[in-house]
Amino acid sequence: MAGIPKIVSQRLHAVERDRIHPDPDLITAFIEKSLAKRERLQFLEHLSRCADCREIVSLSAVPAENAGEALAVVRPGWLSWPVLRWGAAVACVIVVGAAVTLRHKQTLVEEKPAARAQMEAPEIEIAKKVASSVQLADRAAKAAFVTKPAGQPGQAAPTKPAALVAGAIAPPTQSGLRMPAPSGNTFATAAIQPKARAANPGGENYPAATSSAVEMADARSGAVLAEVVPGRAKAASPETQDTKAGKSMGGGALLRKETVEVSAAAASVASDAFNPADVAPRWTLSSDGTLQRSLDSGRTWQTIPVSSKTIFRALAANGLDIWVGGLAGALFHSSDAGQHWTQVRPVANGETLADDIIGVEFTDLLHGKLTTSSAETWITDDAGQTWQKQ
Amino acid sequence: MPEDGVQSVVDLFAGLDSVVTEIYQKSKSEVFGLSRQQFDVILQEIARKYLPVDAARNDMRELLTSVRAEELALARACALGHQHAWEVFLTRYREKLYDIAGYITKESSAARELADSIYAELYGTTTRDGQRTSKLASYMGRGSLEGWLRTVMAQEHVNRYRRQRRLVSLDEETEDGIQFASPESEPAVAVDPRVEAATDEVLGALPSEDRFVLASYFLDERTLAEIARTLGVHESTISRKLDKLAKSLRKQILAALGRRGMSRRQAQEALEVDVRDLRVNIRSRLAQETGGPAFSEKKAEAPADGS
Repeated sequence: MAGIPKIVSQRLHAVERDRIHPDPDLITAFIEKSLAKRERLQFLEHLSRCADCREIVSLSAVPAENAGEALAVVRPGWLSWPVLRWGAAVACVIVVGAAVTLRHKQTLVEEKPAARAQMEAPEIEIAKKVASSVQLADRAAKAAFVTKPAGQPGQAAPTKPAALVAGAIAPPTQSGLRMPAPSGNTFATAAIQPKARAANPGGENYPAATSSAVEMADARSGAVLAEVVPGRAKAASPETQDTKAGKSMGGGALLRKETVEVSAAAASVASDAFNPADVAPRWTLSSDGTLQRSLDSGRTWQTIPVSSKTIFRALAANGLDIWVGGLAGALFHSSDAGQHWTQVRPVANGETLADDIIGVEFTDLLHGKLTTSSAETWITDDAGQTWQKQ
Repeated sequence: MPEDGVQSVVDLFAGLDSVVTEIYQKSKSEVFGLSRQQFDVILQEIARKYLPVDAARNDMRELLTSVRAEELALARACALGHQHAWEVFLTRYREKLYDIAGYITKESSAARELADSIYAELYGTTTRDGQRTSKLASYMGRGSLEGWLRTVMAQEHVNRYRRQRRLVSLDEETEDGIQFASPESEPAVAVDPRVEAATDEVLGALPSEDRFVLASYFLDERTLAEIARTLGVHESTISRKLDKLAKSLRKQILAALGRRGMSRRQAQEALEVDVRDLRVNIRSRLAQETGGPAFSEKKAEAPADGS
């Protein structure tokens, strides 16, 4: 780094200092990049003259890494952002090329035996060829992680195998990806293929409902409406009801405390990429009701677009599991730190929760409580599969 | 009285009722125990503090919509002593206070002491005119409440450190209506006034951000990463900026000296001569500065050893 003439240091030091210093609000707004342009310029002008305020700004800035909780930051050098960008692009090209090549080969393997079989005169020979082509296609399909029922002798050659599922495409190794240096509030995930996860943290799929809208995930934004599943109405059997009643809050008064934000316990990060198992996210709701997540201990925040139609009012987080509730009974759940979301509609005794949710509390993955603007309390003991209203 | 043609804050505020209503609803003020009227007063206070006299309605709208409404309502409700607000505040920020203190002080016992002291000020253990005064009453919602707590703690830490060096407390300054005053600048050590003037001219022409970067790096000895983080840019951006500045400053000062009647050789010699002299001057100035007050015209007794 080139030095500067000493006279410059001296004159920088000797500038007339301002007697009025910015208040903590302005300092905070400057650090968080929320000052208007005019104010920012005035603030910088003061900072350029005031060593004391520079010191306070330095102390007040959120550290890039804390002991025991860190999100890896891009190191300069060969892991710098342009390299990452090109590397990700090359990886995508290779992956797509491999998938196309594999599919093309499968098609060739099928069509060759089928074409030969059609040219042969005797039917029995044709049948033998068809059988062998089916076996070949079956082997090829298995190699491509696609399973299909083996064809029966005498049947016509099967059509092309089913489309390759996502699992056939090898996801880029997470160790090959690096998080870009945090800048502003952006957070990018480059071609991460998250595992398909069941919405139920217990590992079982939700039972099929009368309507189930499935939409593909946008891994980059982390916002997915995976499945719309109305919560099942509580079973009418007396035994179940008694059991539920016995397991409920013990008849005692429910806590009115509103859980609006819970920071999960910090965990050290072993790898550089965003692995939900490794990162302890922080959550908050902005003043306009959008959900925000931080993966660097609150230094930067990103908006998680769970639903464009909903204003959220309350959330509860427990490790990677998070519930957010808002206006008109909107309730969403994610079990992977916000990468995929499921909308849940609590229903109890035929009644659907429709009031604004102003409180969400989950003591663990299974047991939760919702508070509504009409002072209703909705309780679940099975991670939202069934609800009861109090 | 508002000037002719300039709308008062109250007038501007009255014209933004729908915006204020929306902000009030988002703030959850009712949950925390703040009435609409109380919230309006708070917003007007913020507008008066940060808007210029001739602010337009759009400026006020922009300012008010940028305010962290929910955190503002929480903080002000705490300042007024609403119990539920305190419960929420403690749930959210109690542990963070200690974390922040730990980062600032780097030492656990000092951290605990700092956090406890701030907590007491936030709660409002001091009274004025019979009323409890909480530091949270000064939160204006321009930044996050957590960030504000961080800044308040940093100021308190700096205050304590300087108090230990027998300087006047920041709190006393605040009570007297001055946050903290800057010291009088030391008289310049004898150098060619043309060199000083040329340097001042060149520095004055720089954008404030460039001067901030120069001061942070060369005076405060901050790292590139720290400076980059403060400005929200990449470290390499700061590195390139400093390189460019360092190379251009000398050139510009020489040009400025030329405009002041010096030949190129004279200017180069003057710059080099001053550099040599200044090394001695800076040493002596630093030796003087470490004993003097940094914040106030109320000079504390200088230590006997002159350090």
